[in-house]
Amino acid sequence: MSRVSSPGASLFSWFLLAPGMLFLAAFLVVPAILLVVLSLHDVDGMLMVLPGYSIAQYLAVFTSSVYAHALGTTLWVAALTATLCVLLAYPAAWLLVNTRSRSWRTVLYVILISPLLTSVVIRTFAWIVLLAQNGLINDVLRHLGLIDAPLALLWNMKAVVVAYVQVMLPFAVLPLATSLGEIPAALPRASQSLGADARHTFLHVVLPLSIPGMMTGAIIVFALAAGSYVTPLLIGGRLQPLLPIAIYQQALQIANLPLAAALSLSLLAVTATIAGLMTYVQKRWERRVYGH
Amino acid sequence: MIAIESVAHRFGTLLALDGVDLHIAEGEFFSLLGPSGCGKTTLLNIIAGFLAPSAGRVVLGGRDITSLPPHQRDIGMVFQNYALFPHLNVFDNVAYGLRVRKTKGAEVRQRVAEMLELVQLAELAQRMPHQLSGGQQQRVAIARALAIRPQVLLLDEPLSNLDAKLRKQMQTELRRLLGNVGVTTVMVTHDQEEALGLSDRIGILGAGRLQQVGTPLELYRRPRNRFVGEFVGHGNLIDSRAGEAGVFLANRHFAAPGVPLQLASAYTGTADALFLLRPERIRLSPLTAVATPFAAASNSVTGSVRDASYIGAGLHLTMVLAGGGELLVEAPEASFVTVPQAGTALHLAWDAEDLIRLPVVSGEERS
Repeated sequence: MSRVSSPGASLFSWFLLAPGMLFLAAFLVVPAILLVVLSLHDVDGMLMVLPGYSIAQYLAVFTSSVYAHALGTTLWVAALTATLCVLLAYPAAWLLVNTRSRSWRTVLYVILISPLLTSVVIRTFAWIVLLAQNGLINDVLRHLGLIDAPLALLWNMKAVVVAYVQVMLPFAVLPLATSLGEIPAALPRASQSLGADARHTFLHVVLPLSIPGMMTGAIIVFALAAGSYVTPLLIGGRLQPLLPIAIYQQALQIANLPLAAALSLSLLAVTATIAGLMTYVQKRWERRVYGH
Repeated sequence: MIAIESVAHRFGTLLALDGVDLHIAEGEFFSLLGPSGCGKTTLLNIIAGFLAPSAGRVVLGGRDITSLPPHQRDIGMVFQNYALFPHLNVFDNVAYGLRVRKTKGAEVRQRVAEMLELVQLAELAQRMPHQLSGGQQQRVAIARALAIRPQVLLLDEPLSNLDAKLRKQMQTELRRLLGNVGVTTVMVTHDQEEALGLSDRIGILGAGRLQQVGTPLELYRRPRNRFVGEFVGHGNLIDSRAGEAGVFLANRHFAAPGVPLQLASAYTGTADALFLLRPERIRLSPLTAVATPFAAASNSVTGSVRDASYIGAGLHLTMVLAGGGELLVEAPEASFVTVPQAGTALHLAWDAEDLIRLPVVSGEERS
């Protein structure tokens, strides 16, 4: 369906796109190119960038077991977060879609979206308030006499995953709700009329038809979790073997900018490949089911 | 087979169904016909179990199923948009209900093959629904519903999504198919041609009530009230006034008051009445004919053509009578050499038996 047909109209639509495109070019494309160029330089002993191109940084990235371990951990944590988010998103999305009353649905959407209006840093600090040695949870447990010494709730990967899930859950709920909402009401009814109870109908009709929504949510959460450094830094601490933390340290603490650039691009490449594969699987499924 | 007993349903303050009683016999093809909003879909959903009636019972084969969930009812349903599972191919769609019942693999294959043979889609078993035409999707939906050998098959506006030509074809197909299977069928439709052509009996629903139940012929020839008379087929409604010498057509239709109305002997009442006259029952003849060729018992008036439209199989005419009243006339194609011009004066005649008397305060009117 192309509504813009005449040459004048198409020129006009480019004109409308121009400001956004220029903004993206200046603040995304150009920095990305600079990053690529930067990553192809070596540094001297004082971490000064040397002239002349070199793949030394990439060699360092791919030969170091530290970075390989960090990459593995990053992908594992991102995958775990994505899985947990999709699982937890399902009941919420179900509730959103099956709420008949318009005003109640609006209320639920506002509740869902409202955390996104606060900055990630603030939301992460809230977790620190809860989980710290003298935080809310330890205080309550101590007052109840359940523990003598405070529990170490912060500075570990479990806490990071918990915080990730909380921060990123809305991104899994929204596409899933869209997907569930697009299932025609007649399909579950057809299943019931053929003798299937609610459980069978869910497993054989609703669940498979919500795969696109689950995949979209999982891809978004996976990409966000794999690239996030504020939350793991504040909650997990700088010792966690996560690639974004390593990049942060190389860039801002050690100031080895070419190595930081090479690490960033490696992480980007791996994440994009995985997200691309997931998208491919999703598109294939959609083509099989809907023919487009 | 199915008994609907005093079923009522209320949506908020709206009474969608108001005490419906209905018995459908084993093997019967029964249609619920009515305009949109008459409650027919509500009634179908109550039979299927998607809706619990506010009052009344649904009995299937002697068993009260009013409070049974849909999946325990043993009722097959073909949905308006077919509702094929888009992620399953034709075979798996038809096999769905059998697999729910934990039927053995070999039996599933045999039964699905049988069903696809019945709807003549055996070669498309591996296709996905989106690769099928509307007519093919519909046949898959029927095969899927019949595969579980339901006690009753429900059809929800089964032909409404097909184009006109395909609809005719599917109607014939549907009759052949369900005739072979012999399953008790309840169809909901707003299309009277569909209902008349397919059904053993039809229930006309209007304003949440069953206005009349009968065979297609009974409904057309002997509508019980004005609603049925006007809804099924076309009709001219004619008021009459009782006079000393009998019943007369009301003055607004005729210039000369007192043209006596010849009625079949069954209608002997002298009260004011409303009559229904089917347009195809009116015969037309040119004024120039010396003597009217019609029997003495016929009613005969003159009128002039206001509008004539030629539809191939016949002519649809609007005739204006001397008093300004209008009568719709459907004449056979062969009855005119050329399409009559507007203003042409013609004789209109019909037999006494063609006037169908309707109660003046008809059943569907409630204050």
